[in-house]
Amino acid sequence: MKELVKLFDRIIQRVNINLRELEFDVNPIVNKLIPTAQMTKFYAFYGITPHHPLNFVFKHSNLSGSYFLGRCRVTNSLLYKSDIRGDELKKNGDLFQYQGFNIPVSQDEEIHIDDSFLIKTLVHNFSHDPETLERFFIRDTVSTHYANIHGSPSDGCFMGPFSTVDLTTMRDCVIGAYAYVQAGEISHLNVDPGTVWVRQPGVFNFMYRYPRGQLNDYIYFSDGPPRGVFMDFVEDRKEAFQRVFEVVNIENQVAVPGSASLDRFAVIKPKTSIGENVLVAQRAYLQNSTLGKGANAQENCYIINSHLRGNNVTAHGAKIIDADMGNDVFVGFNSFLRGRPDARLTIGKESIVMPHTIIDIRKPMMVPPGTLVWGLVRNAKELKTNSMGLKDFSKIDTRICKGNLLFEGSGGSFVTAFQERIHHILEANGAFYNGNVNRGHAQRNQNISFNTIQPYPEGEKEGMYPTIIIEP
Amino acid sequence: MKCYLVKDLMVPISEYATVPEAATLFEAVLALEEAQEQYQQSRYSHRAVLILDKNKRVIGKLSQMDFLCALEPRDADLDQIRKFNQFGFTRKAVALQQEEYLKKSPPKLDVYSKAAKLKVTDFMQRPAEGEYVDENTSVDMTLHQLTAGSNLSLLVTRGKEIVGVLRLVDVFAAVFHAMKESETQLLDGTT
Repeated sequence: MKELVKLFDRIIQRVNINLRELEFDVNPIVNKLIPTAQMTKFYAFYGITPHHPLNFVFKHSNLSGSYFLGRCRVTNSLLYKSDIRGDELKKNGDLFQYQGFNIPVSQDEEIHIDDSFLIKTLVHNFSHDPETLERFFIRDTVSTHYANIHGSPSDGCFMGPFSTVDLTTMRDCVIGAYAYVQAGEISHLNVDPGTVWVRQPGVFNFMYRYPRGQLNDYIYFSDGPPRGVFMDFVEDRKEAFQRVFEVVNIENQVAVPGSASLDRFAVIKPKTSIGENVLVAQRAYLQNSTLGKGANAQENCYIINSHLRGNNVTAHGAKIIDADMGNDVFVGFNSFLRGRPDARLTIGKESIVMPHTIIDIRKPMMVPPGTLVWGLVRNAKELKTNSMGLKDFSKIDTRICKGNLLFEGSGGSFVTAFQERIHHILEANGAFYNGNVNRGHAQRNQNISFNTIQPYPEGEKEGMYPTIIIEP
Repeated sequence: MKCYLVKDLMVPISEYATVPEAATLFEAVLALEEAQEQYQQSRYSHRAVLILDKNKRVIGKLSQMDFLCALEPRDADLDQIRKFNQFGFTRKAVALQQEEYLKKSPPKLDVYSKAAKLKVTDFMQRPAEGEYVDENTSVDMTLHQLTAGSNLSLLVTRGKEIVGVLRLVDVFAAVFHAMKESETQLLDGTT
């Protein structure tokens, strides 16, 4: 196991060098987060389908419990129970549109992970950096539990638990727990925990900050493992996942229409119904819920005792409990929507629940159709402060300060950008498939074969995977 | 135009407002008031207080802006709001958020009384490398130093000793008068 320890030290040193300006030391934070003995226990696996590229190179790395799809190179890295999902990478000949330019992609894009330690992290989408179209790089980076690296090349960064960086190139940054950043390009920034920041320079700038102290009940991360409601929630359901990872042939617990896709590494509990064009990704958890036509549940989503009418996007890591969602409701990354059996949460059609929103109620609540919701909402008063009709929001043309939200720029452009993106996500997921056209992940991700790969079982290289090259 | 040297325009340290490092903000303001009353060389008033250590060496400067900043309410949330410009927000937006936050804060009736007792060293600015100038430097040379660093004043040195303060207002006045004199001569055809 010596090699594994050496590799850990090497990664920590490299990340700390990058973060020296911010005086941020990752060592005490992640030193004992995942015991090395734990990192030797799990196999890694990769998917094979006729619809996705197959090209993997693993060198001098530990990949325990991690999943790979598409094209990916991992070197000198530790990946613990992470999902590296390369099913949206650009292809040779694609045109990348950026500020009026159409930039041709000269070779198939690859995810490159070097000198990084990713814990239960999702890597998905494609590089949105016009300077690095063919390489979605993640280097000298440490990310912790349930972080999302979504279309965001990263160099020399630390990501706290349940944080998300979306469509943003980041260099030498610290992203606090449960912070969400979508800002195009950032460097040398320390983003406080619970910051939700969406910026398109010169067009709009949205920032919400969770009230100090109140976020700690949900996620608290200082030294030792992350704590709080979010962690308790996933830990309570951990056992169900152990079964799906231990059993080789698993039978569907539920009828799946021919146009829908249910990943074999998802957990399906009784009384769940899956409609046409539904996508259920690996590590999703469904229980006593209905997913109407075109709805999706992405990685690390939990949908429990809930009803999704159709064309609902439940983005990576979102949780919906005891809730009824109208058609076309978008629930952003890592949102936590919790009604109660006797206090259901209803969200009206075409509403947008911003990424990293917490709705946690004890009395029934109705969010009107076409509403934008953000931040911490535990009662009607907080809903009034932290929401606005999409039509009203679209009218903002200077700036607005509402509770802990500061918005500046064009509300109309902000709403349009979100609506266009939601449409694109539904399209990519195959929600609009009609039997002939508009195939997406729901149709392409059916019948995936999974192969497993294993590390050295003992000795100095215990836990390290041998160099492995996998090609068609 | 007369070629001024720094020492021609500086305020000698003996005439400048100074306080020891143990002084409070209130003592610093009193020192400033006293210096203003005594110093009548020009119509421009004193705008800063120098902070001296026990060996009478200058260790910092408290400007009017530093003084006003000390009166501003401070807490972790406000500090966070003040960092918003890092995230691409305009000054107007930051001010709006700050105003909104302060509306919800309890009124601070005794803010002046509390601020008066604060230590001057907590708010003073320590002079940086580019804020010193030798007394024999020409004012023309010093102009660049003032503009490049956006400095309102420079500390004037003689060897290792600080002997005075060169203020932007005095440099401006000297340059302006020289320019006026030169233009007048041109118009009169006397050059």
